[in-house]
Amino acid sequence: MIFSYELLAQAIVTGILIGGIFALISVGLSMIWGVMRIINFAHGEFLMIGMYIAYFLTAKAGWDPYLTIFITTPMLFLVGALIFQSTIRPILKDPSMNQIMLTLGLSLILQNLALVVFKADVLTSSTAYTRMNFMLGPVVVRGSQLIAFVGSALTAVFLYWFLQKTESGRAIRATAQNREAAALVGVNVRTTYLLAFGIGSATLGVAASLMIPFYYTSPTVGLFFGLIAYVVVVLGGLGNFIGALVAGLIIGLTESVGAAMLPGSLSRVLTYSLFVVVLLFRPQGIFGGKQQ
Amino acid sequence: MSMLTVSNLSRYFGGLAAVVDMSFTVEKGEIVGLIGPNGAGKTTVFNMLSGFIPPTSGEIIYQGRRMNGLKPHQICELGVTRTFQVVQPFPDMTVLENTMIGAYVRHPNTTDAKRKALETLERVDLDAKADKLGRDLTLLELKRLEIGKALASEPDLLLLDEAAAGLKDTEIEDILTLIRQLNREGMTLLIVEHLMKVIMNLSHRIIVLDFGKMIAEGTPQEISQHPAVLEAYLGKDE
Amino acid sequence: MKTVWTQKGFLIPAGALLIAILLPIFASEYALHIAVLVLLYAYLSTAWNVLGGYAGQHSLGHSLFLGIGAYTSTFLFTKIGLTPWVGMWIGALLAGLVGWFVGYLCFRYGLKGPYFALVTIAIAEAMVSLTNNINFIGGAMGLEVKWLGNSPLLMQFESKAGYYYIALVMLVIALWLVYWLSRQRFGYHLIAVRENEDAAEALGVDTLRVKIQASILSAFLTALGGTFFAQYFTYINPRNVFGEGPSIQILLFAIVGGLGTVWGPAVGALVLVPIAELARGWLGGSFAGAHLLLYGTVMVLVMLFMPKGIIGLYESIRQRLKRGSSAPEEERTPA
Ligand SMILES: Nc1ncnc2c1ncn2[C@@H]1O[C@H](COP(=O)(O)OP(=O)(O)OP(=O)(O)O)[C@@H](O)[C@H]1O
Ligand SMILES: [Mg+2]
Repeated sequence: MIFSYELLAQAIVTGILIGGIFALISVGLSMIWGVMRIINFAHGEFLMIGMYIAYFLTAKAGWDPYLTIFITTPMLFLVGALIFQSTIRPILKDPSMNQIMLTLGLSLILQNLALVVFKADVLTSSTAYTRMNFMLGPVVVRGSQLIAFVGSALTAVFLYWFLQKTESGRAIRATAQNREAAALVGVNVRTTYLLAFGIGSATLGVAASLMIPFYYTSPTVGLFFGLIAYVVVVLGGLGNFIGALVAGLIIGLTESVGAAMLPGSLSRVLTYSLFVVVLLFRPQGIFGGKQQ
Repeated sequence: MSMLTVSNLSRYFGGLAAVVDMSFTVEKGEIVGLIGPNGAGKTTVFNMLSGFIPPTSGEIIYQGRRMNGLKPHQICELGVTRTFQVVQPFPDMTVLENTMIGAYVRHPNTTDAKRKALETLERVDLDAKADKLGRDLTLLELKRLEIGKALASEPDLLLLDEAAAGLKDTEIEDILTLIRQLNREGMTLLIVEHLMKVIMNLSHRIIVLDFGKMIAEGTPQEISQHPAVLEAYLGKDE
Repeated sequence: MKTVWTQKGFLIPAGALLIAILLPIFASEYALHIAVLVLLYAYLSTAWNVLGGYAGQHSLGHSLFLGIGAYTSTFLFTKIGLTPWVGMWIGALLAGLVGWFVGYLCFRYGLKGPYFALVTIAIAEAMVSLTNNINFIGGAMGLEVKWLGNSPLLMQFESKAGYYYIALVMLVIALWLVYWLSRQRFGYHLIAVRENEDAAEALGVDTLRVKIQASILSAFLTALGGTFFAQYFTYINPRNVFGEGPSIQILLFAIVGGLGTVWGPAVGALVLVPIAELARGWLGGSFAGAHLLLYGTVMVLVMLFMPKGIIGLYESIRQRLKRGSSAPEEERTPA
């Protein structure tokens, strides 16, 4: 691979734009962890569901991809809430490994159901936005990625506002900080769990719609994005909202600059190595304080 | 030379001084009581002696050997075993197996370890429950198991952290008898206890901690009349 | 842990072994194929169980060791013609070394529970990407075990019976090893570490060393299975040996059968693998993920309704029956 500054600049711009999406995919996972100490291993598969919904609405029903947000978001909320109530709620008090195994089982089910229903085909839906690129000096900025980045940022801001300013948001934060204390001051912890899980999943609906113009859909797409979400969440500090956003950008840059510098798909190795190193030496994340 | 020499031992948790500049010795064959109000730092001292947390400063010498930096299992192998204030059973193992883990320290062979464990269970009056799972025990049984596990490792110095807390009078009497007997057989004990009658009854010597500082040391007789101790205990509503 | 199989109870495994030895006489090739899979996954799951079940360190990336075993022997076989019978030990030693390294890294830095699980996934996934990009071991295309005719010395057989007996011997040895270990100090130390690390450490158990030893042993055994995997399927690529799928299959049967029990993984594989393979057969090529769909569903159901697995369920039923028939339990003072 020949090194050039143009290439690097391109990688940085792409990395930041993709990083925004990574961040959006991760904040939900992080919030769910923060509130109920559960790592949802089916998180990536929830995104996959959202992408299939968005794909069919755009490619088959001719919707504008960004309009599908109004379907994917509530649908994902519903999917999350249903799955939470039926399978995750009963094992909230079980050992963490049981929870991991259960959500891992869920991810297998969803992935392979998708394989039955949609076959292994990799689907791309070409929309007007897909080809809307423009130049920034020597760098190509893909319009769809820029929109996704801005959309992710707006969603993050909205989510932040929701958590800070609304009654439900405050209940979520209080529960994350101290479940017993929250219950004492009258927070309904059961409902809050459900809400947090639903909202955490709904963010994936937004992400799915934003991604559909430039990312392919397939049954296994969740595998990669699921792993990326764990990487981002751990890097940012489990349960840390701002941390997840910054870590999303860092991982976006690592992936994209790595891909420009390293042959083949070796950048993945870089991302995973970063993950392992962070887990070993800073399990509280790069922004977290001391953890006991 | 003393069996255990602790000099200038301190431990801080952030800004909180849990143990400050503590120095004392334990002689072979003694029963030493360590007392102090809640949060005085007694368990923290045990945690440092047993290698679970490193001291912020100070030195621990056991049988002429510096113990700082050793891991808990190494300290146990050297002959110092501790129990936990909050009992720590192996829930999915039987009482016998729980005790065998301790017995393995001196008996690597399973047959020997099993024999030693059974012997020990008789001493703590749990032999009838040998096949029960740790998770199925009552508090009394758990308290006994906690001592049994430690005894099975055949320590020279046994650190007991509130072994009698939460028990009824007759049950406490059993534990008193056991401790005296162990001591007669040559075991040295450092015991933390809230119950004054236990401490006053058993200890040859008592060390008093308050807010991490040693405020007194002496015979039970001396301690019960020590003004600083009276203030530490009676000054607060107790 | 008091196990199901008292002296008398050994009749069941002995009987099972006898049937297993005679099976190829009357089983069809297809039935034998399913039997080989049962044995292979029972074996792999038993190997995982040492670290995951007994020591309680749930690796979600054991495909790492499967792949190291598969790739090492296959590489040596295809490139320099070394028989897999030798290659498998080289692979196992290599995997043991990696098991030591991963174990040392993780446990030295106190990784536990979900964090350990995440690191193991990440390492295995990194290995997929890495091997995808290494051309002399075939890159993403993987390696093929060349068919040189029926040749027991090269671990290649015309009939499935050859593979069947190898897998059977491997499983019997693994089960015997775990059974034996579970009665040694090391075995008890593994369980103690899982049940309560602080208590174990206070009672003289070098918990770090015990966990690392479990990791080495588990990796070593898994890699031996990896060589067999490659010989039996005759084709390996990064995704199908280092990927998430094999990792899950390695641990699934131990979970379904009963974590940290000698027989759990074997029972789990015996119950599940035939169902999954039959389902795959019925649905034909039209549905590649049938067995994984089943496995996912089973994982969810087991976690919801019988988290202690089949052996755990059996044990609790047995306990209840015993309690029902014998004198009433002495009363318990509330804790
Ligand atoms: N791991 C820790 N991190 C932070 N603070 C701690 C830690 N362990 C103990 N402390 C603090 O150190 C002080 C001494 O605690 P310690 O448990 O040693 O007291 P104690 O004398 O054993 O009390 P009790 O009689 O209640 O058992 C307390 O203020 C406690 O909150
Ligand atoms: Mg205490």
